[in-house]
Amino acid sequence: MAQGKTNLTRAVLLLALASVFLITLDLGDSNSTSRVRRLFDTVFAPVENVSRVVTRPLSDAWNSFRTYDDVVAENNRLKEQVALQEGAAVAAAASVRLSQELLALNGLPTLAGINSVTAQVIGETPSNFSQTVEINQGSNSGIKVGMPVLNAAGLIGKVTEVFADRALVMLLSDPDYALSVKVVTKSSRTPVTLPPLPTEDAPTVDSVLDSSQTSTTSSTTTTTTTILGFTPSATTIPAEIVSGGGSNITVPIASQLSVRETGILEGRGPGSQPIVRFLDATTRAEAIEVGAPIVSAGGSRSLAPPDIVIGVVSRVVERLGTAGPVLEVELVANLSNLSFLRVLLYQPITETGR
Amino acid sequence: MLGRLLQVVASRWFRLVLVTLLVLSLQTTLFSEIRPFGYSVQLIAIYVAVAGAVHDARVGAIVGLVSGLMYDAVLATPLGISGLVLGAVGAGAALLLQPFRDPTWWLRILAVSVAASLGEVLLPLVKAVVGLGGWLTARVAVVALVTFVGGLVFCTPLIPVTRWTLRERVSIGRR
Repeated sequence: MAQGKTNLTRAVLLLALASVFLITLDLGDSNSTSRVRRLFDTVFAPVENVSRVVTRPLSDAWNSFRTYDDVVAENNRLKEQVALQEGAAVAAAASVRLSQELLALNGLPTLAGINSVTAQVIGETPSNFSQTVEINQGSNSGIKVGMPVLNAAGLIGKVTEVFADRALVMLLSDPDYALSVKVVTKSSRTPVTLPPLPTEDAPTVDSVLDSSQTSTTSSTTTTTTTILGFTPSATTIPAEIVSGGGSNITVPIASQLSVRETGILEGRGPGSQPIVRFLDATTRAEAIEVGAPIVSAGGSRSLAPPDIVIGVVSRVVERLGTAGPVLEVELVANLSNLSFLRVLLYQPITETGR
Repeated sequence: MLGRLLQVVASRWFRLVLVTLLVLSLQTTLFSEIRPFGYSVQLIAIYVAVAGAVHDARVGAIVGLVSGLMYDAVLATPLGISGLVLGAVGAGAALLLQPFRDPTWWLRILAVSVAASLGEVLLPLVKAVVGLGGWLTARVAVVALVTFVGGLVFCTPLIPVTRWTLRERVSIGRR
């Protein structure tokens, strides 16, 4: 009996030491712990799948009981919202395409050039102290650790663990998540409107167009549409080009374009809005407006490509001294109700080899 | 060789791993979906506490360490954190009952619930110690409360499960 107790004590000590050793290894991003996880997953995944199938009726019943009224109300609201936004989305898609073409033309990185994998959320985190979701695509689909994950609204997180046919995605709200972002603020000054050039100084149309070869006709094109909420504007082509006529030209000067403040976005757990800190200390809180959009900053060491929409500033907290302001961020993606996600097959340099 | 293999398969520690796999699968499926007040009931912590309360501190600690390591392999948290915490939960549940020679059923349920909920307080503390801060907020109290109530509900059905799992009187390392 005494021998048995001694053996048990030894086993306890051995396991406790093994735990400490594994924590040290894992915090140092050791490959061996990743291999242990993958090995365990091959054993555990079939058991979990059977359990999911068996317990689905129970979880469905619970969800029906808890959220039926909310779902009906949300469905009605969303139908209305979809109808309103359908037209706007068409116009927005055209603008996005134009913007991407311009970026590509100038050799700037765009999301359009990055392949992606669509995945479905199959489970939430079982722990109360991590903000992750499980998706049904893994290394077999080309997913790797560190890849950014989006939904239709915007960025939602990054891949932290990858198995053969599933992966874990850490959400933006997890306190362990940090990402460099930029806050697009408006310029406080209005653009300068230049007066028309004097006729003698203005370039003549002949220098641009050969009038003999160009026939200009007056026409007005009006597009009609059945799309709700979308009001197409009339496009009018001028009847004739007035040589040296000159008109007021509004020129935005470079210093008066949108200012982009950079900072680090950090999650603060469920129920709390993420914050952006480490903004430039010289930035005055008044320079940042509530509602200013926040997008990923990009860069060679960033976790995500540039210009992925993250959210808008919901509150600006000014701090004393040299510390810059702290911004609270209202995310555009609803992290509590995720279904289909898009994993960008873009692995940051900082995460390669994992 | 075959006899030895059969002996290992028939041992309570092998049974422990299999039963823990089942409990863990329930934790990652049913109990991650059913979230009273938005918090997940930690069935795995209750299971470990029951093992400690039904047996002794050493057995509770071993069940906790093994279950915790398996739980960490599923979660994105560093491997070993839940192992340490659940090891403490298993041993803690047994130590809470140590002053009582023959604890009543309700005392056992109470000890299990207290130990499991203390584990939920300990987890963010340990995470903060290893540099994964940000979880030590007021919500820890609510998480502990939900786990305490979960302990009151699920302790009774888990007692026969852990008794059957750890029934064998063979210690680790004994030939």
